[in-house]
Amino acid sequence: MSTHDLPEATEHRLEELEHGLFTSDLSVNEFLLVKEAGFHPVGLVMGSSIYHTGIQTRKWGQSQELTKLTEAMYNARELAMTRMEEEAAQLGADGVVGVRLDVNYYEWGKDAAEFIAVGTAVKAEDGVSRRNQLGKPFTSDLSGQDFWTLSQTGFAPQGLVMGTCVYHIAHRGIGQTLASTGQNVELPNFTQALYEARELAMTRMQDESTRLGATGIVGVRLEEKSHQWGSHIIEFLALGTAVAATGAPVTLAKPTTIISLDH
Amino acid sequence: MSDPRPVPPDLPALVRAALSTTEDGARGAPTTSDLSIDEELSLHALAWEPVALTTGYAVVAVPAGAWQWGQGEIDVASSAHERAFTQALRRLESDVARTGAHGVVGVSIEREVAPSHIAVAVMGTAVRPRGAGARKGTPFVTDLSARDFARLVASGWEPLGLATGASFVYAPRRSIGTALAQQSQNVELTNFTDALYGARERAVERLQRSAMSYQGAGIVEVKLEEGPLRFASHAVGFAAWGTVVRLAGDQHLPMSPTLVVSLDDETRAFEAQTLE
Repeated sequence: MSTHDLPEATEHRLEELEHGLFTSDLSVNEFLLVKEAGFHPVGLVMGSSIYHTGIQTRKWGQSQELTKLTEAMYNARELAMTRMEEEAAQLGADGVVGVRLDVNYYEWGKDAAEFIAVGTAVKAEDGVSRRNQLGKPFTSDLSGQDFWTLSQTGFAPQGLVMGTCVYHIAHRGIGQTLASTGQNVELPNFTQALYEARELAMTRMQDESTRLGATGIVGVRLEEKSHQWGSHIIEFLALGTAVAATGAPVTLAKPTTIISLDH
Repeated sequence: MSDPRPVPPDLPALVRAALSTTEDGARGAPTTSDLSIDEELSLHALAWEPVALTTGYAVVAVPAGAWQWGQGEIDVASSAHERAFTQALRRLESDVARTGAHGVVGVSIEREVAPSHIAVAVMGTAVRPRGAGARKGTPFVTDLSARDFARLVASGWEPLGLATGASFVYAPRRSIGTALAQQSQNVELTNFTDALYGARERAVERLQRSAMSYQGAGIVEVKLEEGPLRFASHAVGFAAWGTVVRLAGDQHLPMSPTLVVSLDDETRAFEAQTLE
């Protein structure tokens, strides 16, 4: 199955949506705020990829990036995201809000994981295209609330950007362990490994946003997960929404300060 | 000789008796509701009132052997799920109609997928505009909270009903040959992707079709529950449901929210005994 080949059931489902019904997993508040921001939901869009990660050799005592695993995590998420984008494009949407990226593991799939991306495709009500500079619908993991607030500040989302790095952190030899027993010391090899892995993930995320011509990334989250690899292998995942100024006049109301009396 | 077994209670009669107390709830009978005070308040602000707590329940049998590893979709399970869901909703609707309410809000949904059956239980508070008579047509059902319902109505929309869709599939088997060849490589398992991606799409497609039968404009708060079954990990279930809505008036009413910044500090809570 290539990325340009969505399952048959998808085609069916999207055709039905063209009759004017919309589906969305937005809450009522989010739905009303997306409307408030001048957009209308067009449909729930999703993408999925079940991916088998290969075998990577590593040295017990050496900190290093596990490029094969990094590549796998990247590829699989990219496949899921691209399929979701394609569904949105097929619906004629301008973008996707509230994107969730999940990883599922199944008992029967050894060394395999399902990567899924789900979000609500939206379309501008004034008919002016809000797609990003690549001509694709923008994606963003902003909630309806954040989406509205962002639009009030004169910025528009360009795309969900991510960077990932799977890193093997060296085990410490017996000599090293003994030498530091009973003392307050920094463990430079651990510090450095974690530092470098995070930097790599963040740099990759920034590169993606540069490609979209964005001027900034909001709501960045840095997640650290060991998935099913054991404690010395960690995936660092940086995720955020790339934004750019729209140039539209901004009338940002001064927020009212409140003190609630309910506690 | 008389039968030594105790006489089973006459369940239908018991249910009828319980229901008759809420029949035409307004005139005299006390109201029951599981709404919080805040939620009642937001209903009152709309000039609506709670009438009675209403329920619906249905169990549909799944034929033996349905879960044994096969190929493609498990049709009997998908259709059993749909029947259980619709039956439970129909019963809830007739319960609501009996109380003279116009619809039911805050419906909680409990699903049970067991080896031999699929059961769905729904429960929520029936509501109506204050002092209104019976509604023409079937009452609406929504899993939105009373607060969300109030905000939706204030923006010019109305809920119509709950749409649902489900799909159960078997995970494809991987032959030993391909499994070995894939050992050391990064590769997408396309047949698996196809099976699960397709099943998720089918569940949502059924959701859409069920929404169209309500003649709605869209579905909000779609919930998608998925995962391998507890008792058969090679079978994966996908279920989706959400509230069908449409514009009640001519147009959507903007709400122009105000920005606020709360000056409250986080309150520190501690355990009274351990002081932690």
